Amino acid sequence: MKKVNIILAILVATIGIGLMLLLSGGAIRNAQSGFLSWLAPFLKGGAAVQQGIGAMGQGLKTLDQLEADNRRLTTENMELRASNQILRDMEIENNRLRAAMDFRERSMFRLVAARVTTRDASTWWNTIKINRGFEDGVEAESTVITDVGIVGKTTTVSKNEAIVILITDENCKIGAYVEGSREKGIVSGVRVQNAQEPELQMNFLSKNANLQPGQKIYSQGVGAVFPSGLLVGTVKSFRQRELDGQAILTPAVDFSTLSDSFVIVGEK
Amino acid sequence: MRDGLLVLGLIIGGFFLIILQEFIPPLAFLSGARLNLIPIVFCFGALLVPFPWMLVLTVGLGLMVDLATVQVVGDSAEIALGWSVIFYLLIGLICQGLRPLVLRGHWELYILMSALTSILYPALQFAMITLRRMEEGGLYYSDVVTWRILGPGMVTLFLAPIFWFAVTLSIGPLLRMRDREV
Repeated sequence: MKKVNIILAILVATIGIGLMLLLSGGAIRNAQSGFLSWLAPFLKGGAAVQQGIGAMGQGLKTLDQLEADNRRLTTENMELRASNQILRDMEIENNRLRAAMDFRERSMFRLVAARVTTRDASTWWNTIKINRGFEDGVEAESTVITDVGIVGKTTTVSKNEAIVILITDENCKIGAYVEGSREKGIVSGVRVQNAQEPELQMNFLSKNANLQPGQKIYSQGVGAVFPSGLLVGTVKSFRQRELDGQAILTPAVDFSTLSDSFVIVGEK
Repeated sequence: MRDGLLVLGLIIGGFFLIILQEFIPPLAFLSGARLNLIPIVFCFGALLVPFPWMLVLTVGLGLMVDLATVQVVGDSAEIALGWSVIFYLLIGLICQGLRPLVLRGHWELYILMSALTSILYPALQFAMITLRRMEEGGLYYSDVVTWRILGPGMVTLFLAPIFWFAVTLSIGPLLRMRDREV
């Protein structure tokens, strides 16, 4: 290899890296959005396959349950149980979708239904990807919710995919108040979450707030992202610190089973 | 030409590994550590191809990794786009130093470099996050952090030999490793 080529390669790489490091947040977001558009078809396909595999796993688990039932109740035959199980699965799915539709109808916001395609793709950030993008009216910094509470907010939005930073991430901050009191604080995730039992922290409460386990925390509506009155979580514990009080919360949304969500795209 | 094709193949392979990683859940037995498959591909290329092609591989893979994982919050990215390129460049430079040994048959160095890269990547990421959030969240460390840093390296120790032998046994003659310029 000629020395000139090596020097040229080093020069090009140095300029390239330098330009990358100087990019603004908006430019990075645009670049990431473009890359996400490339990934989107594969993510959608992969999510469909994963769902199929999950459904197969569920079916196998159901067969186990049916076998147990078979031992206990010897009067029914296998075919009848299998068809019953399929009907039951359909009923659960039906109820879930009906609840979601119902929530969308009674919500005061304009909502876009979204499905989670992938989750927790990085070690230190808590994010998910959803199958809705700017073509569906989703913008960066849009609130994502379910019928039980806040999920998080969108960061990078591509044509048909969006990255959602979850409220369990330390970078996702929500101004919030405690139900039935004047206590207000900032809710955020903790730096490294235990995936099985995610927690939130509520800081800047008054020292003598004395919150009780089970008290509900709602978004306050300050800032441009999260609307007021959405359930964030419930108090798990409270401790006094030198200058303020801190509450540990359990998120309202169960992130381990989260599959459907809604993006707020405006008010009705 | 041969090196160019290898690098192109590794970059395309890296793209699909990034997609695959999205669907691999965190490893519960390692406190939620994430599998990182890119070092396996990167070190393979960086130990085999000459310096300019190593640069191409570094920019290609590093940029893709950054675009897939960069977190833009508000108006800025928490870790700047391009940091993975710098990280892989430093690893690549070490790999270039070890290249003559690997070409003489010391493939175990590839395993060690892959594992080391898998450990250093989340470790440096965590250090940068900690520095960035120092004012608001202070210092944080726990056993979970240790496992999330060491976990990917431990898994890489198992996966890297499989990748090495799978590639060298399948397309080994095309790579002509013994004839390579040291």
